[in-house]
Amino acid sequence: MSDFTSLAELVINGNYNGAKDLTQKMIDNGNDPLEIINQGLMAGMNVVGVRFKAGDMYVPEVMMSAKAMSTGIELLKPLIADKDMPTAGKVVIGTVKGDLHDIGKKLVVMMMESAGFEIIDLGVDIDPAAFVKAVKEHSPQAIGLSALLTTTMLSMKDTIEALKEEGLRDSVKVVIGGAPISQSFADEIGADGYAADAASATELCRRIIA
Amino acid sequence: MGVGSSHGNGLFFRTLTEKQAEEIHLASCQVLEDTGMVIHHEEAVELLRQAGAHVENGNRVYFPSFLVKQALQSAPSRVTLYNRKGEAALHLEGANVYFGTGSDTLNYLDPFTLERRSWRQEDVANAIRLCDKLPNIDFVMSMGLLSDVDPRMINREQYAIMVQNTEKPQVVIAEDGDTLLDIIEMAACAVGGKERLRQKPLFMIYTEPTSPLQHPKESIEKLLIAAENGVPANFACGGVAGASVPTTIAGALVQANAEALSGLIIHQLKAPGAPFIYGYGNSPLDMRTMQAVYGTPEAVLFQGGAVDLAHYYQLPSWGYAGCSNSKVCDEQAIAESTMFTMMGALQGCNIMHDVFYMEFGITGSLELLVISNEVIGRTRRLLKGINTDKESLGVESIMRVGPGGNFLGDDHTAKHFRDNWFPDLSDFNNYENWTANGSKTMIERARDQIKQVLETHQPKPVTEEVKAQIGEILRKAKEKVGEKA
Ligand code: B12
Repeated sequence: MSDFTSLAELVINGNYNGAKDLTQKMIDNGNDPLEIINQGLMAGMNVVGVRFKAGDMYVPEVMMSAKAMSTGIELLKPLIADKDMPTAGKVVIGTVKGDLHDIGKKLVVMMMESAGFEIIDLGVDIDPAAFVKAVKEHSPQAIGLSALLTTTMLSMKDTIEALKEEGLRDSVKVVIGGAPISQSFADEIGADGYAADAASATELCRRIIA
Repeated sequence: MGVGSSHGNGLFFRTLTEKQAEEIHLASCQVLEDTGMVIHHEEAVELLRQAGAHVENGNRVYFPSFLVKQALQSAPSRVTLYNRKGEAALHLEGANVYFGTGSDTLNYLDPFTLERRSWRQEDVANAIRLCDKLPNIDFVMSMGLLSDVDPRMINREQYAIMVQNTEKPQVVIAEDGDTLLDIIEMAACAVGGKERLRQKPLFMIYTEPTSPLQHPKESIEKLLIAAENGVPANFACGGVAGASVPTTIAGALVQANAEALSGLIIHQLKAPGAPFIYGYGNSPLDMRTMQAVYGTPEAVLFQGGAVDLAHYYQLPSWGYAGCSNSKVCDEQAIAESTMFTMMGALQGCNIMHDVFYMEFGITGSLELLVISNEVIGRTRRLLKGINTDKESLGVESIMRVGPGGNFLGDDHTAKHFRDNWFPDLSDFNNYENWTANGSKTMIERARDQIKQVLETHQPKPVTEEVKAQIGEILRKAKEKVGEKA
C-alpha cells in the first residue's frame, strides 16, 4: 500500500493520531503538500462522504474522520501558500437573534468543515447587524442562518434586509435552515437556498457557490 | 392487607438501585463543583456567590456540594396543582401519575381533512376542548403554535385559549419573564386573585437550561419570578444525547441531574420552600438521520433513572409519555407512545407531558391523543394491581357456584364486574358485528370520537367578567410588544 492509500485509510478509520504521524512522515520524506491533501486526506474524506450517504457510516464516525483530516491539514498549512490551499468556499454561519438552539447548526458546521469548507461560526443569538459585520470582515461566499423557533424565523428576513441596506446582498449567498423552515419560507424572504439537514446543507452550498 | 409497592398494592418498576442513584448523585455534585455552569443572570450569580458558590469571569459558577444539600432540605416533597374551580387536581407526590399534552407543535394533523398544516386559534381551542373531555388527560399544555397571531403574542394567546377551554390545570411555556407575568395575571383572574393563585396554583411553568451547562437569562428570569409568586416550576434539561448531553444513559443522567439541581439551588435561594418539580428529558440524536428522537428504549430507561433520583431526593418528578417519531398516527406511533406511557406509569413519574406528540414534537395528532387516553386507562388499571381482601378472594362465591356452575349469574360477579376496565375505543366485537358497524379501524373510531366530542362537548366557560379581564391583559400586552418592536 502506498503512503497515500494508507493515509486515506487512516482518515476513513478516524485514526487521527495515525493520520498525524503519517502526514508528518510524508512531509519529512519530501512529498508534495498539496498531493498529501488531495490524494491522501481528501481522498479518504471523499470515501467517508460516500459511505455516510449510503448509511454505512454514522455521524460520530464522520466526525472522527474529519478530525483525522484536519490534524493532517494543520501540519500542512504552513507549507502551502494561502491561495493554493484547497477550499470549497468560505461560509459565515450563526443561529439568529433570540434563538439558542445550536445542535443542528453545529452539525451543519462540522459536516461542512469535513467537506472542505472554511466556516466562521458566530454562535447563537446573532442579530442582523452582527451578520452584516461578519460579512464585511470575512467576505464569505455565503452565510448560513439557523432558526428553530417560529418567533425567531422573522430575524432571517431582517438579516437579509440588513444585507441589502448595506449593499452586500449581491456579494453573498444566503442559505437558511432549522426545523420550522421550509423552501416556501426561503422563497418568501428571498433567501438563495434552504436545506433540511446537514448533508443537504453541504450540497446546497457546493451548488450555489460553484 | 400487604402492600406490594409504591403504587399501593399495584405494579411498580425501579430502574436504578439505591447505590446507582447515589453514584449518579455524587457524579453530578462533582460536575457542579468542578465544571460548574455559565449563568447569564446577574441576580442569580449574586445569590449564588453570597450563598458560598465560587464565581469566575463574572458568570461561571462553581457549586459547592453543601448548596445541593441545603436546597434539597428546603424544597417540598409534594406539590399540588389545582383546577380552575380551586379543587386539588394533581397530587404530585410519591408514585402518583398524571398525564397531559405537549406544547408548541408546528403542525396540526387535521383529523377531518387529514392535512398536515399550521395551527390556527380555533384548532388549539378545539384540541383543548377535547382534552377537557378526555378522562385520562389530567392537564394541558399549549399543543399548537398559533400561526394566526403576532408571533410575540403566541404564548399569551395560547394561555388565554387554554384557561377558557378547560378547567384542568396547565403546564406553561413562556418566552420570557414579561410573558410569564401576563400569564400569572390571566390565571389570577380566572381563579379569583393572585393570593388565591399562590395558594392553589392552577399552572406550573416549564423552564430549562440550554445544555450543556448554560443558563440563559430568560430561563432564570422565569425561574425567579416563579419562585417569588409561588408558581410551581421545573428546570428541565431537554437533552439530546450525543450532542448536548453524553451519549451514555448514565452520563446523560449525571449532566441533566446537575443542571436540574443547579436550577433548584437558585430557586430555593430566591424563595426557600417554593414549589419545585424535579425532572428532565432526553431525546437522543439519531446518528443516521440527525434527528432528536423521542421515546427510544434509552430515553425510557433514562426517565426511569430520573424518576428514581426524584424518589432518592424526595422531590416530585417530571417526565414524558405518549409521544412518537412517526409522521402519521400509525403502528409506529402507537408502539412508541404506548411503551413510553406504560413505562412512565410503572416508573411512578408524577407528571408526564407530550401525550399526542408526533414527529419528535414537530407535529401533533388528536388521534394519538384519543388513543393514548385509552392506553392510559388500561395502564391506570394495571397500576391498581390485585386486591386480595376477603371479598376479592371470592372464596364464598366459588363455593356457591361450585363445580360445573357459572359465575355469570352470581351476585359476586354483578357486584364486582364494573371494577374491571372497560374500553372506550378498542373493539371487542365478533367479526360480524364489527363489519356491521362499518369495519372501522381504531384510528377511524378515534376520528369519530373526536368529531363527536367537538360537536357536543362544551367546557365550563369562564364568567363574562373574567373573559373581559383576560381580553384586557392581552390588549395591553399587544401594546407592550408593539412598543418594543
Ligand atoms: C433540543 C431542543 C432544545 C434545547 C436546545 C439545546 C441546544 N443547545 O441547542 C433546549 C432545551 C435548550 C430548547 C429550548 C427551547 N425550545 Co427547543 N427543541 C429542541 C428539540 C427537541 C430538538 C432540536 C434539535 O437539536 N434537533 C436536532 C438537530 C440536529 O436538528 P435541527 O436543529 O433541526 O437541525 C438540522 C436541520 O434543521 C438543518 N439545519 C439547522 N440549522 C441550519 C442552518 C442552515 C444554514 C441549514 C442550511 C440547515 C440547517 O440541519 C440540521 C442537521 O441535520 C426541538 C424539537 C425538534 N424535534 O426539532 C425543540 C423545539 C425546536 N423547541 C421548541 C421550543 C418552543 C423551545 C423553547 C421556547 C421552550 C421553552 N421551554 O422555553 C426554548 C427556546 C430557547 C431559545 N430561546 O432558543 C419548539 C419550537 C417551536 C417553534 N418552532 O417555535 C420545538 C419544535 C419543540 C416543541 N414542539 O415545543 N430546545
